[in-house]
Amino acid sequence: MLEVQGLSKSFYGTPAVTDVSFRVESGEILGFLGPNGAGKTTTMRMITGFLAPTAGRVTLADVDVARKPLLAKRALGYLPETLALYPEMRVREYVAFRAQLCGVPGRDVKARVDEALGKCFVDDVASKPIGNLSKGYRQRVGLAGALVHKPKVLVLDEPTVGLDPQQIVKVRALIRDLRKDHTILLSTHILPEVELVCDRILIIDKGRIVASGTPETLRHQMSQTPSVTVALKGEVPEADLVFRQLPGVAAASRIGAGGETRVTLDGVPGADLRESIFKESVTRGWTLLELSPREASLEDVFVRLVSRDAAAEPGLEPGVDPDAPTPAAGTGVPS
Amino acid sequence: MRAFVAILRREFFSYFVSPLGYLVLTSFLLVSGWVFMVLVGALNSPETPRMALMSTFFTNVFQWIFLMLVSAIIAMRLLTEERKSGSIETLLTAPVSEATVVAAKFTGAWCFFLFLFVPTAIYPLLLSRFGGLDLGPVLSGYLGIALIGALFISAGTFASSLTKNQIVAAILAFVLILGTFIIGVARDFLPFPEARDALSYLNILEHMDDFARGIVDTRRILYVVSTVVFFLFLSTRALEANKGR
Repeated sequence: MLEVQGLSKSFYGTPAVTDVSFRVESGEILGFLGPNGAGKTTTMRMITGFLAPTAGRVTLADVDVARKPLLAKRALGYLPETLALYPEMRVREYVAFRAQLCGVPGRDVKARVDEALGKCFVDDVASKPIGNLSKGYRQRVGLAGALVHKPKVLVLDEPTVGLDPQQIVKVRALIRDLRKDHTILLSTHILPEVELVCDRILIIDKGRIVASGTPETLRHQMSQTPSVTVALKGEVPEADLVFRQLPGVAAASRIGAGGETRVTLDGVPGADLRESIFKESVTRGWTLLELSPREASLEDVFVRLVSRDAAAEPGLEPGVDPDAPTPAAGTGVPS
Repeated sequence: MRAFVAILRREFFSYFVSPLGYLVLTSFLLVSGWVFMVLVGALNSPETPRMALMSTFFTNVFQWIFLMLVSAIIAMRLLTEERKSGSIETLLTAPVSEATVVAAKFTGAWCFFLFLFVPTAIYPLLLSRFGGLDLGPVLSGYLGIALIGALFISAGTFASSLTKNQIVAAILAFVLILGTFIIGVARDFLPFPEARDALSYLNILEHMDDFARGIVDTRRILYVVSTVVFFLFLSTRALEANKGR
């Protein structure tokens, strides 16, 4: 549906986005995550054809954006980061204007506008001038304008920024609901948002993709030191020593308190320690009260990824999206 | 085409929801009304040579200088405002070409320029009520105003494509418009007759003299149309240049 291949952009020789490739399949919500200034907006502007890439190719609904911009943009609904509406226009007028801009036939405009206003919960302010609306309403008017012509692909640049918590919940629900009809690329720097809304995540830092995958796989893949907490009944002073002998355990520390012994174990990357811990406890006749893996939160993953130099970390190749088929091995869009 | 009309309509009606639009309308009516009054007063005195009032109304330099200013002000916000607020992003990511955006915006502003002259239709009406009026020169005079207005607005459109600041755009527009105006006036200071002939083709006041006397010369129309296309082409290129920035 949306395919990006080797996209790069430099401003006056300074690279802003370097070799970004990914695909969004239809009916999917891809979260584009990164700190401020990572290149999210630049990438989105290249996807929407607002900026010309220095290198690379963008395909929207099987149409090359650079070659046939007008045709490609018909399939696109875009909510820019700097939401600029015309304050003097009324909500209904504005959304109708956006519909006409995208070539919606005159007789369909009214129905489409009503539908879009309803979808985005702005029908109650339809006849108010945009300049009089609150930020939350304006954001949703912008969204209504972006989807009024029923585009196949929706590109939303920080759609929930500046909204109050209640509105955020509403807009997120709306976006999840839109997945039925649209392919969605959404950028944000709010972590819980991607976990709640997106099917897949792409983390970008300093203009390069540093990781990609579903929230779960990312967390799993990135928890380089799987950590397990074990609680045993009674005082077991030798527990940490015993567990350290198990294969895959890198470190163990013991705290005995209140008739139970708690041991925290760090494993080598990729190891699952739970089974061997359980078996060892059974052979030794220890009563296992608790055995819980401590997974790294997405926040840990994010902070670790964006605070280091992408090239210094082995095992993670920038620009490679492990979940999506690589452009070369792709099964879908012919080039 | 649908998009062209949508942008044109939005552009035209936006003048009527801003104080600027009404300021321009009001001050233009004041100036043109005052010019008309002075002309009628002058014709009443016996020393004045016989002349057609409306043609003088169309060709007096005072009003033209004011029109240059008005054109610069009408055009100054065309692309600057969109670029400054960022709404250009929604416009250019819609399935609309840069050329369509420029052409629609120019046409919207030009329609507003023409709208300024709607109330002035009362002057020839008044004249025909109290004396003879030759309709032909009046109509061709309005045609001349419309054409030269297009020239001015297109220069202003180009100025507005170069900057995000409306004041800068207005000043630049005024300089460009003044340039197109005085390039023909320079003719009178040149010693070579060939150069004079060439420059007289570019003399806007001379164009207007012709139109006001009822002469519709296709060369003059061609000059205006080609200059308008040239300025709009430059504006389109300026808009496209932002893409690769």
